[in-house]
Amino acid sequence: MQTVKMVISGAVNAGKTEFIKAISEIEVVSTERRATDDTKLIKKETTVAMDFGRIQIADDLVLHLFGTPGQKRFDFMWEILSEGMLGLVILVDSTRPETFRETNRIIDFFVSYRDTPYVIAANKQDRPNAWSPDELRLALRQPPHIKVMPCVASDRESVKNVLLELLYVILQRSED
Amino acid sequence: MALVGNIRDFGLSDFLYLVDRGYKTGGLHLKHNDETAILFFERGKLILASRKDEDRKGELLVRLGVLSAEQLSSVMQQMQQRGNGVTLTQVLLDSQLLPAEKLQSTLQTHNEESVYGLFGWPEGEFRFEQGQKPATDSPVMPVPVPVENLIMEGVRRIDEWGRIKDRIPSTDMVVKFIDQPGEKAKGVKLAPEEWRVFARINGRDTLAEIAQKTNLGDFDTCRIVYGFLTAGLVEVLKKPKPAPLTSSARGAQVTEPPRLKKSLVNRIINRIRGM
Repeated sequence: MQTVKMVISGAVNAGKTEFIKAISEIEVVSTERRATDDTKLIKKETTVAMDFGRIQIADDLVLHLFGTPGQKRFDFMWEILSEGMLGLVILVDSTRPETFRETNRIIDFFVSYRDTPYVIAANKQDRPNAWSPDELRLALRQPPHIKVMPCVASDRESVKNVLLELLYVILQRSED
Repeated sequence: MALVGNIRDFGLSDFLYLVDRGYKTGGLHLKHNDETAILFFERGKLILASRKDEDRKGELLVRLGVLSAEQLSSVMQQMQQRGNGVTLTQVLLDSQLLPAEKLQSTLQTHNEESVYGLFGWPEGEFRFEQGQKPATDSPVMPVPVPVENLIMEGVRRIDEWGRIKDRIPSTDMVVKFIDQPGEKAKGVKLAPEEWRVFARINGRDTLAEIAQKTNLGDFDTCRIVYGFLTAGLVEVLKKPKPAPLTSSARGAQVTEPPRLKKSLVNRIINRIRGM
């Protein structure tokens, strides 16, 4: 059985959990609790949020989806997670410009030192105050060849489109 | 029929797993020397835990500072007036003397701490009375708490190889995610070291290899994986024997991962398209 991995990253509350839930064939293993959960407050120094989903491609091939923790103090885990990944989806909460700087930091981390195939998913496009993908591209200072896709992470079709775009980027780089 | 045993032989984390997976309702009575404890579960989730008899009465809420003695007295009177098996928690919530969230968080913290202390018991008799419910005047949490985090925290406190070896006899075993973690895996919170191990699980590496890659020792790696195992996230298998090399593969760099083929990417694309 061959296993391949994609990583879904983004700032806190960008929609990583929803994104993976929308497409995973298993109940997503989510270690993150709702922000209202008091235990989070009690243990916030020692616990970390992440998500894990899975898609069976064929009998001999499985795709794993890993959501990274959004909190800055867990940057060191991104390194571990990114090992051997096929590609990366960067999720952005299009309604919260205050997270764009953090999103840029995440993109820099994953992309600066390696040639990682990635796309940006402009999430929460169903909200009235969402920045459009074009606006986001500018805000994030992304070059034209980087795909910035409109996305609603709770909508499976939308998530499929984002993953397919990423796969097309990966396909261009793969060998015959 | 009660389930009886000793946590020396069947650890508390294992029992919690059983309660959880079996959606058990009932009371788990524990005894170690002159200490006792009781945990109540409803459909596999914790609703009350106490190490003292007096913690199973409304006075606990006064001691924890969320109700005054007068308020408690008034609530108890209302309980009696309403009768019909109405519970203390129900009356408290209806009376709106304190917010439900406050009641939940106070009791949850108290209950969790009560449970964590039990993991330090090296041995102790237990008896699980199926279907047993707490008395109506007990301070039951409004929202039952999943036990996965209790298990993970409990396993963090395990410091004996013996118990771990029961489930993980060798570091040559391979760890893989179970195919359907389902509801059980939701809400599990991992510490950074656990998370490092979690991210290394790929169905191929042995525990020894994971220990090496994470720079955690064999014991810590096994202890962490034991936690995942007990919480129902992973399974541990014997490493399969390598397939005999074909003539074309002989001499190839087996440690070097193959570069991605277009055909493989196309297979994934086709699968995603068809979803």
